[in-house]
Amino acid sequence: MIEIFVNDQSLHVNEGVLLIEALIQNRIDIPYFCYHEALGMDGNCRMCMVGIEGQKRPQIACDTIVKAGMRVHTTGERIEDVRRRILELELVNHPVDCPICDQAGECKLQDFYMDYGLYDSAVSKGEKVHGAKHVDLGANVMLDQERCVLCARCTRFTCNITKTHELGIIGRGDHARISTMPGRKLSNPYAMNVVDLCPVGALTSKDFRFAQRVWFLSSTPSVCHSCAKGCNIFIDHNAPKYQKERIYRFRPRRNDAVNGHFICDAGRLSYKSLNDHRLTCNNPDAMDRAKALIQAAHNIALLVDANLYCEQLDALVAFAQRIGAQLYCPNQCYYDEGFGDEWLRRPWRAANLAHINTLGITQSTPSEAHDLIISFNHPDLSSLTCKHKIAFSTHEGVEADVVLALRSWAEEAGTLINITA
Amino acid sequence: MRDARIVSRRFELPQSHTLEVARAHGAYTRLSEAFDKTPSELIEIIDQSGLRGKGGGGAGAGEKWKLMLPHDPRPKYLAVNCDESEPGTFKDRQIITKDPHLLIEGIILTCYAIGARAAYIYIRGEYRAHQQILQAAIDEAEAAGLLHVKGAPLLITVHRGAGAYICGEKSALLESMEGKRGHPRLKPKQKECEWYFGNPTLVNNVETIASVPFILYEGAAAYRSFGTEKSPGTLLFALSGHVQRPGVYEAEFGTSMMAYIEHFGGGIRKGKKLKAVIPGGASTAVLTAQEALEACLDYESMQSLYSALGTGGMIVMDEDTDMVLALKNLLEFYRHESCGQCTPCREGTGLADTLLSRVLEGHGNTGDIDKLLELASTMDGQTICVFAPAVAIVIRGFLLKFRSEFEARMHA
Ligand SMILES: Cc1cc2nc3c(=O)[nH]c(=O)nc-3n(C[C@H](O)[C@H](O)[C@H](O)COP(=O)(O)O)c2cc1C
Ligand code: SF4
Ligand code: SF4
Ligand code: SF4
Ligand code: FES
Repeated sequence: MIEIFVNDQSLHVNEGVLLIEALIQNRIDIPYFCYHEALGMDGNCRMCMVGIEGQKRPQIACDTIVKAGMRVHTTGERIEDVRRRILELELVNHPVDCPICDQAGECKLQDFYMDYGLYDSAVSKGEKVHGAKHVDLGANVMLDQERCVLCARCTRFTCNITKTHELGIIGRGDHARISTMPGRKLSNPYAMNVVDLCPVGALTSKDFRFAQRVWFLSSTPSVCHSCAKGCNIFIDHNAPKYQKERIYRFRPRRNDAVNGHFICDAGRLSYKSLNDHRLTCNNPDAMDRAKALIQAAHNIALLVDANLYCEQLDALVAFAQRIGAQLYCPNQCYYDEGFGDEWLRRPWRAANLAHINTLGITQSTPSEAHDLIISFNHPDLSSLTCKHKIAFSTHEGVEADVVLALRSWAEEAGTLINITA
Repeated sequence: MRDARIVSRRFELPQSHTLEVARAHGAYTRLSEAFDKTPSELIEIIDQSGLRGKGGGGAGAGEKWKLMLPHDPRPKYLAVNCDESEPGTFKDRQIITKDPHLLIEGIILTCYAIGARAAYIYIRGEYRAHQQILQAAIDEAEAAGLLHVKGAPLLITVHRGAGAYICGEKSALLESMEGKRGHPRLKPKQKECEWYFGNPTLVNNVETIASVPFILYEGAAAYRSFGTEKSPGTLLFALSGHVQRPGVYEAEFGTSMMAYIEHFGGGIRKGKKLKAVIPGGASTAVLTAQEALEACLDYESMQSLYSALGTGGMIVMDEDTDMVLALKNLLEFYRHESCGQCTPCREGTGLADTLLSRVLEGHGNTGDIDKLLELASTMDGQTICVFAPAVAIVIRGFLLKFRSEFEARMHA
């Protein structure tokens, strides 16, 4: 740890870190577009200007390593003037049409522009350099070239992180713009992360754009259930007027021990299944009929879904003992070899298989001897034959003697044990 | 004016680009003299000679060569900068077409001194015909068994650019050679060599390398017998614009600018009066006629006039020149050539050009001059490479020295 001074306040920071990291970690306001914790510095936006005592000119904080005793200023007339002028240039060819931009409310450019009060563009609309407004890059990502600040986060993501190289910058000067490489589309299993990385409204998700104003959304921290990795996410949801609560999107939630800053597209889009075809109410006599079936049965199999939380599974173990049932979690339906990859995606497509293992639950199909199967949301119930079936289910369309509604994982709180290997 | 031909010595000979003629006039004949010395002795001679880079920056060559640490185990490279896209600059192509063997000999010697076994010549894309002459010369030298450093084979590869001025900037040049976009790299915090695929690399201009044989054979003192204390030797100065005889003429540093224009260029065209001179390629501050009278062609004199020697390519403008149009011409160039990587330059060059268009269309007002000057200060010192600061210098030079011409175009 070394001591530096920012606006005369003493800070203790790790040796060797970038000044911008030290500022961000200590929650000191610093505008920036191109730097990103996962992508590192690139030094192109020039927004992160700070004053450093002993240096004639303002310096960019993202290309400065902290030094013991360094005295830094992030405020003051001179620094603010430089930032204002660079920001003004950033806006020269930008349409500044926030009211009709989907990024409004979570846009860095909009935030800085409000901070620095630049309400008039230096040039008229006719003098601006125009670009394509609706480019379908592929993978659900739409590009508006005019709103782009050319921070190169998206290109650095496809070059350095996914190494798929679909995106590039073409042209020079104020005609430079983001594009896919000739004859290619954005297509990799993590492509939609560029939407989160883009600090402005240049890259938007076809799936989410214009569905909701972001300031109406509530974010709940959660964990993706689409594979065993357990990527940390935010569930962004809202109940529009006169409608039921809906989930509008999943976003990655940083967890360096699991998923870093990113999630896969399959996981990101898996929210949809939580909105549609949901089973939400029971027949009035359902509980009584279920009870009767259980009492009449001689040999019960209890089928549990590997996506249930630990607390739910523990309770079901106790329940199975009470009613003398045998527990099963047939796992073949969760295995998808093609889904696994070297990065985040795991071939086991359920969130809590590790706990199923710990509990020692049988992972093969139940024997034919059972005369009743009670399923707690197991996806493969329909392929099993049995005299009677009771299904607790989150979704419609399950065939059983009795079907009872179950809350989805997004509506419950609980613990999961992921498989990181 | 004293004859000072170091690099252009063989230029006038018929068929000077062929191995036969070059050899008959001394090329490759003294290589063994240099190979008898150690690499560090050669670097010392270059350092002593005071040779300064001739690509525009004027950095001490010896100092740069010393950054190629001899004990570094990685392969080392020489990249010869022949991107030559600075407006007003057309000297390197003279070397390539008139005496390519001088460059090749310089490359052999430089590679021996810095421990490189491979050299690249990055040539601007438009120089197609020039590239063919250069390649033919390399092939001839190869066939004659000349491409080696003290017996170890030396590979010389010509790499064609794709028409971007910014690829002349040394780090953009290396990015381009690595197959990426020609974007300048962030400057290191300490003095170090350049890097090609992570390996130590020296980047020098064509003319810098072409000066090496003379210095290593004749000695540092012989080189220093030309020029001034701080600007030793000679340069292939060039003249374009409103002179009688535009062209490239080698002269020693310290020559009076007007004497040079008179002697080599035959004075201003059609007996007109001089209005201004851009002294060293477009990116140096324009000089008024009065300043040109005082100017000498060396680093010190140009610095005292708050301009720079640059590449030594002078653009001469006579009394009929419209300075607003001249600036517009330059700004269009910079707008087109900014690599677009950093905000102040990407947007600033475009905005400056747009503002000047307004003035030319008769919609300008005096506020636009201040806006342009403010823009110049935003572009100065806040960018990745010195392209944008150069544009700032250009804008300031024209606006401050010829302000009345701009004001005369203003609406209100
Ligand atoms: C925008 C820009 C363009 C440049 N173009 C050239 C060029 O065409 N040729 C060149 O030799 N140097 C050019 N330079 C200078 C190079 O970056 C570098 O300093 C030079 O090649 C080093 O060689 P020298 O020390 O022998 O001059 C340029 C620099 C900038 C900033
Ligand atoms: S599209 Fe977005 S992320 Fe990509 S360069 Fe433009 S602003 Fe940056
Ligand atoms: S890798 Fe797995 S846990 Fe992560 S987002 Fe994708 S499906 Fe969800
Ligand atoms: S100053 Fe201009 S040319 Fe240099 S890196 Fe920035 S945008 Fe590119
Ligand atoms: S964040 Fe530092 S230059 Fe962009």
